[in-house]
Amino acid sequence: MPGMTSDSGDHSTSVVPISPNPQPTTYPLNHGLKPPIARLSISWARGNTLRVTVLRQPQPSAANGEEEAGGKVLEVKLSDNRDGEIDDAQWRRIAYGSVTPFALLQSRKNSTSTLSKISALDSTEWWQYIMEYSREINSLLGNPKTSPSLAIEDQKTVLKDVQKPTCFKAAWELMEIFYADQHSQAWIPERLLDWLADYDCLFSGTQPTVHSELVNFQKELVTRQAVEDHPKYWEAISSTLAIGWLEIGVKLLRLHGSYDFDQLGSRETENGLVEAVAVLISKMPRLRADLGADKLGECYKNKPDFVKAWEKWQAQITKLDCSAFWLQCEHHQTRDGLKNILQTMLGNSTSLSNATFHWMELYIAHFLYIRPFTAGLESMYNLAQKCMQIKPVSGHHKLIGLLIGILGENPEVVLAECSKSFGSWMMAHAAELLAAGNIQAEMLLQKEQFQLGGICIEELNRLVYAQVLSSHALTWQIAPIYLSSCMKQGMGLLETVLSKQALQHDQVLLKSIEICRLYELGTVSSNLMKITAVHDWKHGKKGSGVFWLQQARDEVRLNRIAKHLFDFVGKSLSDGSFKQWEGLIELLGPESGIAGGLEFLNKYREFRRSLQQVHSGTATDAAQRAAEALISLMKNPSTPQRFWLPILHDSLKLFNWAGRPLLNVSQTNVLLNKLQELSMARLRPDFVNADLPPEALNSVRLAIATNLGRAILEE
Amino acid sequence: MALTIPSPQPTSHSPPFQVHRFPQDQYIDALRWLPQLSAFHRHVLLATFNSDTSISSLQTLTYTPNSPPNLSLQSSYPTPSRITSLKTLLIPQSPKPLIVASTLSGSLLFLSADLVNGSLDFEFSVPEKGFHRGPVSGIDVDGNGSGSVVSVGEDGKINLIGIGSEGRGSNQRFFDSNGLVSYSTVKWASPFEFVTGGLGYSLQWWDQRRPGGPVSQFKGNWSSGTTSGIVHSVDIHPSRKHTCLAGGSSGTVFAWDLRWQHQPVILSGAGTPETYSPSESEIWEVQYDNYTHSSNIRNVSSSRVLPAMICSEDGILAVIEQGEVPMELLAEPCAINSFDIDKENPSDVICSLEWESIAILTRS
Repeated sequence: MPGMTSDSGDHSTSVVPISPNPQPTTYPLNHGLKPPIARLSISWARGNTLRVTVLRQPQPSAANGEEEAGGKVLEVKLSDNRDGEIDDAQWRRIAYGSVTPFALLQSRKNSTSTLSKISALDSTEWWQYIMEYSREINSLLGNPKTSPSLAIEDQKTVLKDVQKPTCFKAAWELMEIFYADQHSQAWIPERLLDWLADYDCLFSGTQPTVHSELVNFQKELVTRQAVEDHPKYWEAISSTLAIGWLEIGVKLLRLHGSYDFDQLGSRETENGLVEAVAVLISKMPRLRADLGADKLGECYKNKPDFVKAWEKWQAQITKLDCSAFWLQCEHHQTRDGLKNILQTMLGNSTSLSNATFHWMELYIAHFLYIRPFTAGLESMYNLAQKCMQIKPVSGHHKLIGLLIGILGENPEVVLAECSKSFGSWMMAHAAELLAAGNIQAEMLLQKEQFQLGGICIEELNRLVYAQVLSSHALTWQIAPIYLSSCMKQGMGLLETVLSKQALQHDQVLLKSIEICRLYELGTVSSNLMKITAVHDWKHGKKGSGVFWLQQARDEVRLNRIAKHLFDFVGKSLSDGSFKQWEGLIELLGPESGIAGGLEFLNKYREFRRSLQQVHSGTATDAAQRAAEALISLMKNPSTPQRFWLPILHDSLKLFNWAGRPLLNVSQTNVLLNKLQELSMARLRPDFVNADLPPEALNSVRLAIATNLGRAILEE
Repeated sequence: MALTIPSPQPTSHSPPFQVHRFPQDQYIDALRWLPQLSAFHRHVLLATFNSDTSISSLQTLTYTPNSPPNLSLQSSYPTPSRITSLKTLLIPQSPKPLIVASTLSGSLLFLSADLVNGSLDFEFSVPEKGFHRGPVSGIDVDGNGSGSVVSVGEDGKINLIGIGSEGRGSNQRFFDSNGLVSYSTVKWASPFEFVTGGLGYSLQWWDQRRPGGPVSQFKGNWSSGTTSGIVHSVDIHPSRKHTCLAGGSSGTVFAWDLRWQHQPVILSGAGTPETYSPSESEIWEVQYDNYTHSSNIRNVSSSRVLPAMICSEDGILAVIEQGEVPMELLAEPCAINSFDIDKENPSDVICSLEWESIAILTRS
């Protein structure tokens, strides 16, 4: 996703990280044009794409009519070097999926804030909303952690082979634990333990972890006989126990050779000791809300019960540690290994330190065996610092950065870490968790910042995310949801986004207009229609151009278009090509309100129809109707001047009507005035001569004069 | 696109049905059911566009409805341009259905789908040159009669393309409005007649035996004089060839009966308070729904409009019936761009969602 800088490892001060040796990337252009290429123009298109226009030298078209394309417009997608944790399609899926939870949370927020400030009563409800939001977003970031277990489990498979989780999911869950989940507050150490169990593999990249060691050990395990002879076996058990993976520890213990049938007799005491340790492990008291069915340990929800159980359990371990049976155990690896395990369980800091690799693991081991009552972020932070000193790490891990920010109660650091490592999607969505869980963070997010032009950081995040969304042809439609939650600049940016849509296809236009309708952006909508209208008009889709101008109520352009159109309208009654205009006239509709100058077409059609009836018969009624249509056409200011003479010429039969004059004196005067105007206009240089015989004007003048004479006599 | 905050579903009046969603990670331009070969799995035809690679293709997918339902790619055929309209035709003697696809660049592709061996085979095509200028906006295949395809475009051209044994691929210009009128959709009514729809809620009825212009035409002028709309999709029921069902902008669905040309029956939208409108935005597709009340079709008077299914920009898939409350099947947070009811098994509906996924509904 753009807007995300890659983590260069060292904390350099440069804003834009510059890679030391930039290698030029070549993008081939398949334009398929014959050389010579005359011009090449390059501009930015949407998002990370470049628009390249390749133009050939204009050439006279070949004789055989085979026209060569004059040029081509290509789009070149520039790949961005992101760490490929989540691919583009999956990103879009996350973006689509997060729309509904986000919008739902915003609408719930708005309805609570209009009622009152969140009172004590509905605050539990409010936390439910936040958790619902967090869970839905979380589910988008990856599959549920627990994979369906196989029916026949391989005895020697200690680690289930699951898809590698993403840092995004790990980061989200971390924030969920600390900010969103009110129930977890009392059991944060155990929640962190679960978290590390899911994501320990993410730390394996640069240095060993319990997970990576276990993966390596599992490979050896398949080929090994008598595992208990190897120190690695005992190390693996200590390590898994240290970070609370009790199930794996017990499973490994049961692979001990003394369990084999042929060995039971001779190694009875040894086996008894192994089993005693395994039973002790599975009875470990845990201070947590609940424990999954396949998890070991005994669950205690409140502190006094836990303390009692803990002391009893520790006493049992000490008792076993001092037992006389150890002397009878002849297998010294087993004896040492088990003793070391007991030390781990008793919280011997040296044992714990030896059993763990990453400081995060040591941290969890401390919670489990040394300080099970650690509470409060300050003491957790201090403990983390201490563990880091014992097991220093090289390089900066984004999850660690985030965790330290959270433990240090430093929302600025959390935000900076999210922005730097996880990009705009995380910024826009995680801000909700942050604001919900921490008053200090909420103030930081919602304080209007002078440097940001008066908007707050929360709004800034949404604006940035919306921009990322609108830079892609498939996600731009989501952007309005986020922009509409931006109080200050959202609508402005939405107008820009809509105005910059490429409208070559009707579907995009209609989808944009729909968004305009929802957000009451009438002006933007009519601008889009005008752009489409002009585009369609220029590309020969005249009907479509007229339609969209009508929709946009753009009379000015309709009038301009009318002037062009009338050049092509057959001006004589005998011209058969007028038929093709029927469809367009039908489209204009009967009400002429928004047809602009084009309403002439409608009237002209009426006139032609009635005149045609006159020519085919001699009914005076029809002739009278035709005469009325003629007068209304000539009185109408929108009738173009170049049509006057052809219309009058076509009407000769009406002027010389046999029965009685069809036009009265005032009507005839209207026509005479038009004729006069026409004579004056002939003197102007821009006059367009009608395609009529030269004596046409004279014959029309004579006929009208005759009609005038007859009309005067009639009156 | 509209965002609807999810409401508790299903509502009391809607019958039980199952919905399965399948993300595709590419945009679906069009989709159709393909004929059923076995009782255990079905085939679906998709026209897709991959925005990352800018590759458009036709794909057949195998759908296994058993639990868990599964949809997997069977074959793929890259197309030169994006697909605007997709139709299928079952050829009586052949097990391979014919696929007709029109493209954004203005050409027409004919393929046959070998569902047994899983391949899409190119048959022939009609190139852009001398066909349509710009996109072909709609096509329809006449299955039982003359064996031809009619295509319409925004350029105002109407072409007839032969698919029968003689004149296969022959292209005949039936009408050209020279861009003065644009057509967005087309549907055969009989072997000689077809209906087109387009801008300004307009419908045109054409007859091959009377070339030179539409036999009759209709323009919807009900939209209170301010704005008009576009007809996006038309359908004609084989038992009611005189009535044309049309769906378009502003949630408008209406039926135009040739016998009462000036009295269209408005089923939804068009600012009429007396109808129940399931949607207020573009209706992208309409199809008669043979599943709903299919038992009492004979009892319904011939002036009553048969039940129809619609899909809309605001994410609604619903069945509407004259004078009844619409039955909402889906209310998605994103647009539903197209759908298809399985002809052989009308309880099954497939629809494409704006957010790069498809949904399959099974009504029971």
